[in-house]
Amino acid sequence: MRRTAFAAAVLGLASLCLAPYHADAAMQQLNPLPRGGSYVLDPDPGVGTAAIGLWFRAPGAGYDNATPGLANLAATAAAVAPLASGRSLYALVHTVGGQLNIEVYPDIVGIAAIVPASASRRIVAAMTAAYFAPAVDDTAVKTARANAAVLGVQQRYESDTTLHDLLFGQIFANGPEHYPPLPTSVSQLTSISTAQVSDFAKRAFRAENGVLTLTGNVDASSVAAVTDGPGGGSMDRPFDSTLAPTPASATSTGSVDGVGLAWIGPPIADEKAATALDFIADYLFREQTGVVTKALDKAQSDALVVGQFITLHDPGVMLVTIGGDHEKQAEQHVLDALSALQQPMDRQTFESAREAFLYHVAADTQTPQERADNLGWYSVEGNLDYAPGIGSGSYERAARELDPQYVADIVRRYLGKPVVVDLVATTPQKESTP
Amino acid sequence: MRSPFSLCAIAAFTIALSPSPTLAAATVPVPAVENVAGATIVRQPDSTASLVGVAYVVRAGLDRQTLKENGLSALVAETIVRTPVALRQAQGDMPAMPLEEAIAARGGSVRFTVDPSDVRFYVESLADDAPAVLQLFRSAIAAPDFSPPTVREARSTLVREIAQTQQIALQVGLDMLNAASSSQANVGLPELGTPNSLAQFFSNDARGFYQRYYRRGGVLVSAAGRLEVLPPDALTSLASALPEGTTAAVPVRVAALSGATHEIVAHRDIASPWLIAQYPAPKVDSRDFGPMLVLAAFIRRTLSDIAQVPGVVSPTFASRSVGAVYAYDRAPANLVLYVNGGLNGNPSRAFATALSIVNVLAATRLQGSIEEFKAEAAGDFANDATTLETRTWLAAVFSRESASPDFINGALAAIAATTPDDVQRVARTYLGNPTIALVLPRGANLSD
Repeated sequence: MRRTAFAAAVLGLASLCLAPYHADAAMQQLNPLPRGGSYVLDPDPGVGTAAIGLWFRAPGAGYDNATPGLANLAATAAAVAPLASGRSLYALVHTVGGQLNIEVYPDIVGIAAIVPASASRRIVAAMTAAYFAPAVDDTAVKTARANAAVLGVQQRYESDTTLHDLLFGQIFANGPEHYPPLPTSVSQLTSISTAQVSDFAKRAFRAENGVLTLTGNVDASSVAAVTDGPGGGSMDRPFDSTLAPTPASATSTGSVDGVGLAWIGPPIADEKAATALDFIADYLFREQTGVVTKALDKAQSDALVVGQFITLHDPGVMLVTIGGDHEKQAEQHVLDALSALQQPMDRQTFESAREAFLYHVAADTQTPQERADNLGWYSVEGNLDYAPGIGSGSYERAARELDPQYVADIVRRYLGKPVVVDLVATTPQKESTP
Repeated sequence: MRSPFSLCAIAAFTIALSPSPTLAAATVPVPAVENVAGATIVRQPDSTASLVGVAYVVRAGLDRQTLKENGLSALVAETIVRTPVALRQAQGDMPAMPLEEAIAARGGSVRFTVDPSDVRFYVESLADDAPAVLQLFRSAIAAPDFSPPTVREARSTLVREIAQTQQIALQVGLDMLNAASSSQANVGLPELGTPNSLAQFFSNDARGFYQRYYRRGGVLVSAAGRLEVLPPDALTSLASALPEGTTAAVPVRVAALSGATHEIVAHRDIASPWLIAQYPAPKVDSRDFGPMLVLAAFIRRTLSDIAQVPGVVSPTFASRSVGAVYAYDRAPANLVLYVNGGLNGNPSRAFATALSIVNVLAATRLQGSIEEFKAEAAGDFANDATTLETRTWLAAVFSRESASPDFINGALAAIAATTPDDVQRVARTYLGNPTIALVLPRGANLSD
């Protein structure tokens, strides 16, 4: 139901996309870009930087889910391909003193630049030109392949990311989430042609499939810098994946040891349930303050536990990854803590934990970059109003509606027996740098 | 194979670059300053924020300790953070609990840092909770609980933190370098003390230090965020929480090290070596401040280029294995270069190349455009000043050490005014004589 409503809203916006922008357009909601697509603005004149983001719905392994790494190559190639000025988006961002990050997930792509405020219009123009009218050539794809190959090698030594991909492969039988966004095999990357990358970029990064996010010291007038895009059209529907009928646990070999646990959660439309799972992750696993984190610290464990609810269009996934030493003992800590949460917390403990949770959310969404990422992610996953950290949004309301009984119900409903992946290192080795 | 890098780096510096990027204009509101009975209040209202953040700076840092009192400043600060306070909630009063836990339960956080001349508390909370949270903090700092159990718990907490810090090679190296570069011996001692030094202190020691040095004179309250939610007197009340009076540093002279390059070596339970070089650097009120920001940006970029895998555009382990930090907020200010041997295939070569580039910079006449590095310096500075914590702290530093708390606009203007000659002068002035720290895994030695 939420997805349908969202699609209708996007279609509605598409019909307005040739209308001029308004400098006083309502903030923190989707507004139409002049030539297709939409933007969301969240200004903060108290800082010296602007965060410019561009987010798309795009299947990581291609539209036929047969080419893992395709979205990654396309996103990188578009960033390094020369623009009309002769300089690429990547080079321009660095020239003005900024940083460019390319984030490729199984179902979405996010491009994020943090730049000095005065450069925001130039970067808006360059970023939308690079993606809304991608001019990907062999040189750009070669750079993208090299980049992906290095990141792929690096990822082997990151148990968190490796376990994430392995668990998603177990939970989802088909669709983008089944495939890692970055293949570790170089041969998979070299088999992707420039034509494939170019075709994918032109389809995935079309203006009407994008959401531009503007946060920090920036205002709506920057939208006038968008000169590319054909106008018309609409955003793709979210790329959901098919759940495995009976997800099985597994053991996998890799370069590092680790244990991963996953549970299938609610869709983004079920705001209260999704927020309850965010609360549980914060209460148990947050660095320094989480109940499990503190218990492991007290036990002087070397295990590193990372727990989060990943909010996706449908469904979301609760994920816990354990690296370091003594993973199995840490796993038992995690399961025991979840078991205890099947009973309602006492009211006072709950009230304190919820207040702490609300603070953590606000603290984690205070910089322009954090806010831009949140606005982009929640926009393309289908529920911008629910983006954490938005003052007038629904997230805080959902958090304040939680109560001990509801949280316990959510634990019983979603966090029963997990899918477990044991990652076993075969031949540990250091990354070699040329 | 890596040796051409030094030439490349210098070439990049001497070749005129493409058209100058425009630096950020002065568009950030200027913080407001008010003096209240010996204390200073700096305000940065930001109605778009969800939080209120307050930095509370007291002249009770390392330079208020004698050599035998190392760790006492941290012990008093930790005791304040652990002082029991009464928390009121909608469901009724809760039993008294340590300040840190009470603020967390109320939707906020409190932490402290011991600096050479100050101890700096940072309190942050949701805007609606800020009045109550600041009141909790005020009650604890105005009347800490120096009972033996609280001091004992504070000491235990510090000992645990010290143990954790000893596993962080970069921090171990910086501690050694700060000790070597301090003009006062007490200022160079470990910020949290050592387990042995802390074991000597009891309630009366902590109480005595508090009574001597927690005075209103020199207190700085720097606040940012949704300040309109605070009662009008909230910050003034915080500023006047301590008794009147001023304090002075304890002079503990130490003879300056002489000679050329110095090396300090330490062994820790770490997996790989770290190599760290420290140079003296200018304060924020110096005419050399802007040029040093540009120079640091250049060195940072060059180090990253040395380490990065060629052709790769995303941050990698390799590019993150090196760095340069200009600690202008520290007294004395310094510039640090570091190489993490765990992420870098050949840390010795990367470090040697970095040092040679710095030497060349200090000795060679520079020509050409520096605009790209000025842009990078401006971007780095602005990007490092986006959280309420950094904004309150930088406003405090600039307020104390320069004529204006306007850190963003001031720094950007200083960068914009920098010329190649300025960079050359600063390189010659500061980059001639580094102190080098090597933090090695146990069992390793210098020849490995």
